Amino acid sequence: MKKRFVTSVSLVCVVLAASGVWIIRAQNPFQNPTDTQVQISHADCTYFGPQRSRFVPHDRSQLGALTAQVTRMLGTSAQSSGESSGIVAHASSGASPMMASPPGGTRTSTGQSPTSSANLIDFYIFQAFQQQGATPAAPTNDYEFIRRVTLDLTGRIPTVAAVTSFVADTTPAKRANLIETLLASPQWIDKWTMFYGDLFKNASNWPTTSTSVTTYGRDAFNTYIRSWLTNGTPYNQVASALIGSQGTNNFTQGELNWQIGGHVVGTGIPIQDTWDQQTANVADTFLGISHVNCLLCHDGRGHLDTLSLWGSTFTRAQAWGFSGFMAHTNLQSPKDPTTGDALWYVNDAAYKTNYPLNTTTGNRPPRQPIGTEANVAPVYPFGGQGPNSGEGYRQGMARLVTSDFQFARAAVNYLWAEFFTVGLVDPPDQFDPDRLDPDNPPPAPWTLQASNPDLLNALAEDFIANKYDVKHTMQLIANSATYQLESQYDPNTWNPNWQTLFARKLVRRLWSEEAADAITISSNITPTYKTGTLSFNWAMQYPETAVETTPFLQAFLPGNRDDQPRRPDGAIQQALVLMNDSTVMSKLVSSASGAPQSLLSQALAQSSTTNLVNTLYINVLSRYPTAAEMTAATTLLGTGTTATVKMQKTQELMWTLYNKVDFMFNY
Amino acid sequence: MNKKDFQRFLAENPGATRPSYFRRPDWTRRNFFKVLGAGVAGSYFAREAKGQDAGTCTSQSVTELNTAQNVIFILMAGAPSPWDTFDFKPNSATPSAIDVQTINGLQWPTGIMPNLGGMLGDIAIVRSLQAHALVHSLGQTWVQIGRNPAAALGNIAPNIGSIVALEKASERTPADVLPTFLALNSDGGVGEGYLDATYAPFKYDPTTAGLPDTSNSFGETRWQEMLNTLYTEDAPLRNNSVLGKPADDMNGFYQSAQSMMYNPAVNAVFTYSSSDSTRYGASSFGNALVIAKQALASNLGTRFVQVTVGGWDMHVNIYGPNGNVASGSNIFTLGKQFDSGLSALLADLKSNGMLANTLVIAMGEFGRTPYITGANGRDHYVNQFGVFAGGGIKGGTVIGATSSDGSVITDNGWSANRPVNPEDVEATIYSAMGINWTNVCYNDPFHRGFEYVPQTNGPDFWYPVNELFGQSS
Repeated sequence: MKKRFVTSVSLVCVVLAASGVWIIRAQNPFQNPTDTQVQISHADCTYFGPQRSRFVPHDRSQLGALTAQVTRMLGTSAQSSGESSGIVAHASSGASPMMASPPGGTRTSTGQSPTSSANLIDFYIFQAFQQQGATPAAPTNDYEFIRRVTLDLTGRIPTVAAVTSFVADTTPAKRANLIETLLASPQWIDKWTMFYGDLFKNASNWPTTSTSVTTYGRDAFNTYIRSWLTNGTPYNQVASALIGSQGTNNFTQGELNWQIGGHVVGTGIPIQDTWDQQTANVADTFLGISHVNCLLCHDGRGHLDTLSLWGSTFTRAQAWGFSGFMAHTNLQSPKDPTTGDALWYVNDAAYKTNYPLNTTTGNRPPRQPIGTEANVAPVYPFGGQGPNSGEGYRQGMARLVTSDFQFARAAVNYLWAEFFTVGLVDPPDQFDPDRLDPDNPPPAPWTLQASNPDLLNALAEDFIANKYDVKHTMQLIANSATYQLESQYDPNTWNPNWQTLFARKLVRRLWSEEAADAITISSNITPTYKTGTLSFNWAMQYPETAVETTPFLQAFLPGNRDDQPRRPDGAIQQALVLMNDSTVMSKLVSSASGAPQSLLSQALAQSSTTNLVNTLYINVLSRYPTAAEMTAATTLLGTGTTATVKMQKTQELMWTLYNKVDFMFNY
Repeated sequence: MNKKDFQRFLAENPGATRPSYFRRPDWTRRNFFKVLGAGVAGSYFAREAKGQDAGTCTSQSVTELNTAQNVIFILMAGAPSPWDTFDFKPNSATPSAIDVQTINGLQWPTGIMPNLGGMLGDIAIVRSLQAHALVHSLGQTWVQIGRNPAAALGNIAPNIGSIVALEKASERTPADVLPTFLALNSDGGVGEGYLDATYAPFKYDPTTAGLPDTSNSFGETRWQEMLNTLYTEDAPLRNNSVLGKPADDMNGFYQSAQSMMYNPAVNAVFTYSSSDSTRYGASSFGNALVIAKQALASNLGTRFVQVTVGGWDMHVNIYGPNGNVASGSNIFTLGKQFDSGLSALLADLKSNGMLANTLVIAMGEFGRTPYITGANGRDHYVNQFGVFAGGGIKGGTVIGATSSDGSVITDNGWSANRPVNPEDVEATIYSAMGINWTNVCYNDPFHRGFEYVPQTNGPDFWYPVNELFGQSS
């Protein structure tokens, strides 16, 4: 009996905690929060919906036992024109090539091209290798490197001319030079307009909130993003412009569309729902703290306990303080007199009071006064500041957010995650502010959140010191020895724990647009894409992902910038479209209108079978075939065949290259 | 704490499990730290197995129902009103068009579901089903993974269908060319979680054109030759790849895609005739059910089909605007669509003999308020319903009862003497499919043990509703 009693008591505590009855601290509810209004809701916390897929850790891959024998991808090069394939002894040989050279220093391997000296990334990463006893992968050879960095920086595969001249280049700084060239290219603008379009969720409409800015608004925002990337506007200024934007015409003033994207439309939906959504967007996009969205419905306790040390004690009332910065924001959508479409204006004119607690309807639980407090003043959750005297609320928010160190941390971590597949904090929008400071570690059993906390902070400091220049951070990453490690690794010696040490480059499946554009470049047959009034030749120039409706592009899961994020997963459909879709099949032709020099015709013009195979490989895969690949290719092509048979066999060989895994991955 | 102790506690503390924002009955101190430890580890695979090797599973000795070969799981996204459908309650706003009749002793809204009323002898209804949370996406994820998405491993938990696919993998034969798990009209549905991509749902939105890109314009012979060359030249990158598991996974997707090509049987599964479409209600929901039926009937390896039908979030004008029950999306228009589709499915499964081993389930992520709101709609509420048929279900069964307006569960109607939760539905699915629902497998990335049905209240807290099958639990 006594035992049962004890059990029941413990359960009472459990149930009390779970049901929202707790010791109430009778002080200012906004500073010393209590549970508030947690009973009902039908808002969506981004953590749980379709967005959830973003939070499944990337690359579950290297978790399983990798047991098979080593199979080297590029055993010996079948290409004989001077340049060796650059293959060096792999870590499996027992040697430890990276240990032999200091981080960022000179490489000793053949065919390697040292880049910049002491790189802060390598300082921290290689220190971690030593501390953890990790043996990093070998450095990339030149073929691997130019394909990887060209895809990562520009979303395109390199042209054959670029590959051959890079490999032949003997300049010591050729990798750094290549990176510089790529960062200055128009293709860099295309790729990062898409990346930031994803991050800023630029779309013509958002079905889940029933908000539309029409294609005019979308195109204006797209133009805005392109121009800041072109002009090199510091990222903190961009964030300030988006958060604090005011204006009367979102068709001409692109940055307005970001705040409009937070508009929540519907009968009975109060303006607070919009302010909350806009605040959640600020937290997610610019601070990497998506839990704010959850906290705008309910307290963190009983909800975020295992996810965020910060969030577990943060309350809805405090979150209202953050949302309070939006409380003067007014969005209206009059008709454009010319087009008749709804344009929008955004200003701080209509609302004069602080965030009112007066709702019983809408997408989030009721907001009702706490004691006598019926309005919530703006209070920045990470420091407690408010707007300055005479400063607009949103302008104050923009100032506080962009001057927060977390702003820089989130910005560089989003970039890191794109280049390395896994963020230093991962998922990159689930930062826990209380677990980031190595000098002030969280209490056990919590641990520091970032896989390399010192590196994350150093990158953020470097970002600030370099005027919030995203291009600078990309350059730093691409020049690091860490980034230039091979992705290949002996499965027998790879330790899954080294994944977040970044001891190898994790492979990344190409984006929809990258895959389509790689086919365009290599086949030399250029399609035309159309959406609305726009017409363009590169999939990466789509102004939004929801209009990428072809089976080929959809198979690679580009998302819709609303409730479906871009996904890195594989799928059966990807195999089906690479094997059979017209996107591939229509390129296996010897001539096409406007493309007299199609890849197939170039290959057929070669004087020898070896040259034919080399032509296809270097165009499609940016490298030459291995001996085994050359054998397979020549077997397929056969000998002494008619011109028709030769063309068919060449088509088939070209098809196989578009279906190789090293085509569909950036490795 | 064992089940009995917990039930006694509940009996003595009737308000104890009142759902809050969402309930976390699992917060024992021990579990808190167990969970916390996993949730905060800096590296998610850094944790070593504690006394268990990765990949091993443990379980209790249980007797599975083992009555079903297949499952069709219909997720009524948006949360349908029980009080206008499967647990009808009249109120002052009830329109006469709802045409309530007494069928099999049940008050039945014939005006909304005319066809299913005639099939109640094949249908079992759970009226004591209760959700934990009132957030759409949270609840929808919850019912697909059978656990709290915010609890430990919640964010990497597989869809129930993926667990079925994993468990049934050993039963697949070379003739099984379709994925075990199909997800129709479920683009945003939960996937395979931490499991191998082999167990991912194959997502397809039915069209008359069928599955695209299942043939090659060079013809089958040349395609085969190309494929042979591809597998030869690409072998080192496709099997135990030095590039890591994503490359191996992609190879698996190629094998699956290959077996789905040039297969008239596969093409026949993924398209539908206009007569079938009409018979199933001429809706995307009906079309998906046609595909579901065809996939199972084809006997090509599909065992679990998820079908999502949305639009049930009727906060406004649930009976149509200004009493016009034919206008817009309301409980009449959507209810009739649902009725046409499900009744045609059950009739077809019955006539082709598959209903006996195909468990059909329809439920939302929660219920709706017993009262009609000022906006002439119903808001969110925890009490909901579940509909079950086939796969050993005893037709005509009604589990549980609610008060006159539906606000309170007055009879739980099953041995657990508490409301039926999504976790119990999950356990029921596993048991009916012959899967031990007490499995704990240590193949999760944390090696902390993935529980098929959560065991945070003890391994026998959530368990199959055997009463649905005419058995005691």
